[in-house]
Amino acid sequence: MKVPKEVYEELKDYCLRIARRGYVTAHGGNASIKSGNLMWITRHASSLENLKPEDVIQVSLEKPSSFDVLASLETIVHRQIYLETPNLAVLHAHPPISVALSFFMDEMIPIDTEGYYVLKKVPVVEGQPGSLELAKNVAIALKSYYAVIVRAHGVFAAAKYMDIAYQYLCMVEHSAEILWLTEVLKKSGLTLHKPKKF
Amino acid sequence: MGKCLTVNLSTKTLKTLDVDKELLLSFMGGRGLGVKLLWDLVPPSTKPFSEENILVFAVGPLTSTPIPTTGRFSIVSKSPLTGGIFYSSCGGFFGFKLKNVGFDYILVEGRSSTPIYLYIDDKNFELRDASHLWGKTTKETFKILEEDLGKDFSFVCIGPAGENLVRYACVMGGYGNFAGRGGLGAVMGFKRLKAIAVKGTGKPKIADEEGLAKALKNFRDRISWNPVLDKALAYYGTSALVNVINEHRILPTKNFQLNRFEDAENISGETLKEKIFVRRRSCYNCPVGCKRMTKTGSGREGEGPEFETLASLGSMLLIGDVEAVAEINYLCNDLGLDTISFGGTVACAMELSEKGLPDARVKWGDAETVKRLVVDTAYRRGLGRWLAEGSKIFSEKFGFAEASMNVKGLELPMYHPDGVFGQALAYATSNRGACHLNAYLISVEVLGYPYLMDRFSPVNKPSIVVYMQNLAAVMDSMVVCKFLGFEFDEETFANLLTLVTGKTFTQESLITIGERIWNLERVFNFKAGLGWETDRLPSRFKVPLQPMLKEYYRVRGWKPNGYPTKNKLKSLGLNVEDEC
Repeated sequence: MKVPKEVYEELKDYCLRIARRGYVTAHGGNASIKSGNLMWITRHASSLENLKPEDVIQVSLEKPSSFDVLASLETIVHRQIYLETPNLAVLHAHPPISVALSFFMDEMIPIDTEGYYVLKKVPVVEGQPGSLELAKNVAIALKSYYAVIVRAHGVFAAAKYMDIAYQYLCMVEHSAEILWLTEVLKKSGLTLHKPKKF
Repeated sequence: MGKCLTVNLSTKTLKTLDVDKELLLSFMGGRGLGVKLLWDLVPPSTKPFSEENILVFAVGPLTSTPIPTTGRFSIVSKSPLTGGIFYSSCGGFFGFKLKNVGFDYILVEGRSSTPIYLYIDDKNFELRDASHLWGKTTKETFKILEEDLGKDFSFVCIGPAGENLVRYACVMGGYGNFAGRGGLGAVMGFKRLKAIAVKGTGKPKIADEEGLAKALKNFRDRISWNPVLDKALAYYGTSALVNVINEHRILPTKNFQLNRFEDAENISGETLKEKIFVRRRSCYNCPVGCKRMTKTGSGREGEGPEFETLASLGSMLLIGDVEAVAEINYLCNDLGLDTISFGGTVACAMELSEKGLPDARVKWGDAETVKRLVVDTAYRRGLGRWLAEGSKIFSEKFGFAEASMNVKGLELPMYHPDGVFGQALAYATSNRGACHLNAYLISVEVLGYPYLMDRFSPVNKPSIVVYMQNLAAVMDSMVVCKFLGFEFDEETFANLLTLVTGKTFTQESLITIGERIWNLERVFNFKAGLGWETDRLPSRFKVPLQPMLKEYYRVRGWKPNGYPTKNKLKSLGLNVEDEC
């Protein structure tokens, strides 16, 4: 089960990045990379800021394995994403503004240009962490979108490469921040000027 | 609160008594109650195989309630394997039936001159002749009793190993459930108590039924959300751990000379499921269902093997064949042997055999010889006569004490201490000897429940071990399954106890009860001759134990020699007059 060095390095790098951005708490969040009929996923309760080789667990995509017990609680969600979409990398974090906005909307439509052009829309779904219900809701959403917000919980972003999944994750939070700031400014009395060409 | 049944086997007198309420409040039930009774009634210097030793079968305040895993019971006595205080917890349905009769515990004293069994139903209790059961295996005993009394009864019994005073003979508490460790089956055997049959149809009172029902909704939801309880244990049983523990290089192999087994896959949960799995089985009111009924290619069938057995009879002996391990396990179950201690003792013999000792002729990986040795041990024949003494006495007889992997005479469970420092400390300090259930540090050092700690660091481990030991003592006294510890802590248990009993329990009061039990056990052991010098690990291991021990004693509020201070005992309400 020893994790290949390059897989570990990749996961360690991106886990550290999302931790430094404040998108996860000390032992929150998870990440995975698909490889054929298996995936490498971060360990349950591991610290993404300080990921060790032992914190990367190999899990089968096709059948349950005894190693599932070590893997992230959200392994079921990652597995479902890989089974239902062509993605090869998944990141899950708890960026605060996206989570906060999820209490107020069923979908987030970015109003910033970059967010709108890339993401178009970010659905908001529900489900108990680690449940099949959540796994299905997230996987269905990711068939049509690059990222999905789980209400009151966090964001799943998926792509063919880890760097792109990371980009989607950052964009969701960035767009959420713009949306929130805009709302705050509107409420402070400023007039909204939408771009003429969007 | 409740009642108890006292049984004197020497005089054949049975009587019921009211149980002192203060006793239940201070020691809860189950293990705690048994420990207090042992302290009150048995001088620590008493020989385990003597009329003066007692056996306590106790249930707890949560037994037979709608709370999951509450069909359990505890057995407490002085162990013939360790010479110290011993408690063993057992699943199944016996505890549930005993509580339904209305008894909080059965106290067994004296020794019968002939084999007998104890019969209990809602209205009657009596000692009955067990001549027809003596010599029978556990399976045969259950079958005969079931045919005689009916399927509504639950039983505990011993096999030939217990009758022949094998020092690690277990007590079978329902088919496939064992009070496995410490040789309490041999104490039953010495007393010539072959079995206990019980049928209770009553129900314990619950102070706040509505509140409990509400709390249980959340309780059950949390079990269903917990990956260890709802997925790993439900899907593979405890065998899920074989590959996991092996990959962490902490799977005891070749009598702990190695920490990884090349053939682990062949005894893994996956292989067990593919090759011999028949069906899942649950104890009373348990949604997890970790038990496994299995059948080998040769048509033999039975219960298990569990993780500990897969390792103690597999990797420890270099037997990389799940069917062979299962068949050795069936034999141990039928004859009434603790598989951990048997595996540990045979591994010791294999190591001595490798060193060239002519009397210990058993080679690594030789499953057929091991099967023969199970029988020889249970009947104390040939080499089995010495294997029946446990690895400590066995290795000392042959002049290689360092080949015995024990703490306080109890063979080590199946987590190699060199890779889990907290678990190592828990082994060294456990009152019943090397035990993983007194503080299951694997939960935090490997599995990450409820949090993940650096397994190679000694930092903060003494405090965690103390906390977990105290909590385990309470869980054994309520009495609930230790697996609940993967999801719940004293906060939940205090709430459930309050709802069931109507008395107010807090997190603090619960942990204090656990600490009280732990300290009384410690004092008993000191007076029985198990002092600080027995808080050790075999020299084979390289764990930085001494600094952790020093801190452990300090955190416990004990003197540097590991004995509780006067103030500590006083604060726990323990009246111990003299000091060690």
